[in-house]
Amino acid sequence: MRRYRDVVFVSLPIITIALILIPTLLGAIGPLPPIDVRDLAKTYLYFTLDIYNKSLWAASPEAVTAIVWDYRGLDTFYETIVFYTAIIGCLALYREVVRKPDRSKGEGLSIVVKKATAIAMLGIVAVGASTVLHGMLTPGGGFQGGSIIAVAPVLAIVVFSRILVDYSKITYEKAIMLRNLSIIGIALTALAPLIISLGNAFIFQNQVKAYTTFSYPSSILDVFMGGSLWFLNLFEGIAVSMAFFIAFKVLLYTEETSKEVLIGEDYGY
Amino acid sequence: MFSLTEDIIFVAMGIAAILSVIFVVLAIITKDLVKATIFSAVQSTLYAFLLYLLMSPDIVLVYVAVSVGLLPLITLVLVKKVGRYEKV
Repeated sequence: MRRYRDVVFVSLPIITIALILIPTLLGAIGPLPPIDVRDLAKTYLYFTLDIYNKSLWAASPEAVTAIVWDYRGLDTFYETIVFYTAIIGCLALYREVVRKPDRSKGEGLSIVVKKATAIAMLGIVAVGASTVLHGMLTPGGGFQGGSIIAVAPVLAIVVFSRILVDYSKITYEKAIMLRNLSIIGIALTALAPLIISLGNAFIFQNQVKAYTTFSYPSSILDVFMGGSLWFLNLFEGIAVSMAFFIAFKVLLYTEETSKEVLIGEDYGY
Repeated sequence: MFSLTEDIIFVAMGIAAILSVIFVVLAIITKDLVKATIFSAVQSTLYAFLLYLLMSPDIVLVYVAVSVGLLPLITLVLVKKVGRYEKV
């Protein structure tokens, strides 16, 4: 029986790949993309930092960030909202207990681990912050940097025990408030061109376009900052790191505290 | 058509891809869920390496943080709640 299951398990992916591959090679899905599809990528690379033709540029040497936030800003905004809503769902399930400190009386791991983790946490936050703030120059950006920063509080919960996190200055209310403010920040950064130039601009407009005159500052001193990209990355980074922090704080409650939610349902409220 | 450097990169990608398949199989057949989580994290590390060789550093940055750091942690929390050994 076991061997039979293994044979099925190995042959299933092979059959699936063959079923997709053979019709594709025989031309069942219509004409395949031409070789010169790379021209699209070339176009983006030329336009993101073309200082001689500024009609379509994003003032950012990093093409991926420029595409994500400038050329396709609305897509990314809706992705952010999906993530935001998912975390709200998680918190709604635990609404009874999210504000309470946990019951655990643990003291965390040994002093050696605590000291090493304290140093590592600083490094993690620094790497995350530089990923967020250099998003328009080097690979990375808001989501990437935010999820790197989120590893630090999770380590703190595991290594230093929950007591430190529960009684620290970063309370549940503050984290939620930071997260909401950064979402509002993203929306305002997108709408600022419209508000400032009294409707004579596009939503998510970064640099000056034909017919519209609004433009975010394209550089600080002699470094390109990508106009609105820097602000959008910063707000996205704060939103993502806070969202992960809250979600893990809730998920890592001890068993008794988590069950308070379920006990409530037994009594019909 | 391809230079020697590109050949080396393709060979490295092939090795990483085959190794990742082995770790996926190990993660599925093992009965110890903690070991399964570790195997899955190793597979994620190999995928991150693959993505790096495919020249997509943006994806690598988020992939390493989420699938090598946060996902194994969530899975370990879950394993702690449901029990370590899978019953057949």
